[in-house]
Amino acid sequence: MNAVNLMILGCAIVTFIPRLVPAIFVDKIKFSPKTEKFLNLLPYTALAALICPGVLTVDSKLWYIGLIGALVAAGLSWKKVPLGAIVILTVIILIIVYSIIPLI
Amino acid sequence: MGVDKIKFDKDKFILGVKNSVPITLGYVPMGIGYAAIALKAGMNPIQTVLFSIFVYAGAGEIIGATMLLNGASIIAIILTNFVVNLRYMVMNTVIYNKAKDSTTPLNILSAHLAVDEAFAVFSLMNESSICTYIGIAFTSYLSWILGAIIGVLLLDILPIIVTNSFNISLYALFVAILVPAIKENRQIGLLVLITAILNTGLQFVIGNWSLIVSTLIAALIGVHIVDDEYLTDNTQEELDECC
Repeated sequence: MNAVNLMILGCAIVTFIPRLVPAIFVDKIKFSPKTEKFLNLLPYTALAALICPGVLTVDSKLWYIGLIGALVAAGLSWKKVPLGAIVILTVIILIIVYSIIPLI
Repeated sequence: MGVDKIKFDKDKFILGVKNSVPITLGYVPMGIGYAAIALKAGMNPIQTVLFSIFVYAGAGEIIGATMLLNGASIIAIILTNFVVNLRYMVMNTVIYNKAKDSTTPLNILSAHLAVDEAFAVFSLMNESSICTYIGIAFTSYLSWILGAIIGVLLLDILPIIVTNSFNISLYALFVAILVPAIKENRQIGLLVLITAILNTGLQFVIGNWSLIVSTLIAALIGVHIVDDEYLTDNTQEELDECC
């Protein structure tokens, strides 16, 4: 089995088990408030770690492309634009930025 | 909870499908963005789509593909996925607690469909039928896979400018999920800042492991610096139930 297939299989198993446990034992699971808080904070810290510094490598040659995209998305989100629209608008704006770069 | 009988309410399912529209609008372009990174990381088109079908975790998949691109070990990728996706345990606990008509077979069938967005939409709805949740979650699942399929088909044809622009879509979504939380709670903002600095610094020391390590350490820090009121709706729902 090649490495990528192994990765897919491994990730599938470790992702499904935590999803399955509450499906069967929902009546028996009780987290302590501290554990619950820790688990609830994980998405935020994971997202933050994903964004920084990864966003700067969206384009391996132009680091500021990712920064522009992140700032656009943050601005739109601050203005309460819906999630789907934010993704689409950010992509469109980057296409425009890429089209302008050669002109500068 | 009756295990022997599966009752399925079609109308409530359709209600869920309707409520999934904002998610699907985001998932299709995101799926294309994910496919762009996965292909760049050396995954073939079939592997790219299978990863979405079998793992179904936007952030987890993108981390996996990005780590692969950076030459991380398979074990590091799997462990990181485990940590980053552990939150689905909490989400499913909340979902199956809320869904009064849920049965163990329906729970098991829908367990794989847990994602942040479907969870958020369902837990904020007044409707509490498992059929509505499955409507939301299953449509979201299909749109995420559709995005990956469109991605692997289109990315060869599309000009490089467009392909590169799709790479931003997952980050745009990450940012768009974080910003409202930061806006509502400045302590989350501080925690995000701490995590970003920690992760950037640790990358020079432990490379690809920094993602998993900084995620865990920052969440531990968060337990102490974020106010206790910042807990799931779980607590709120328990209150609703009894009162």
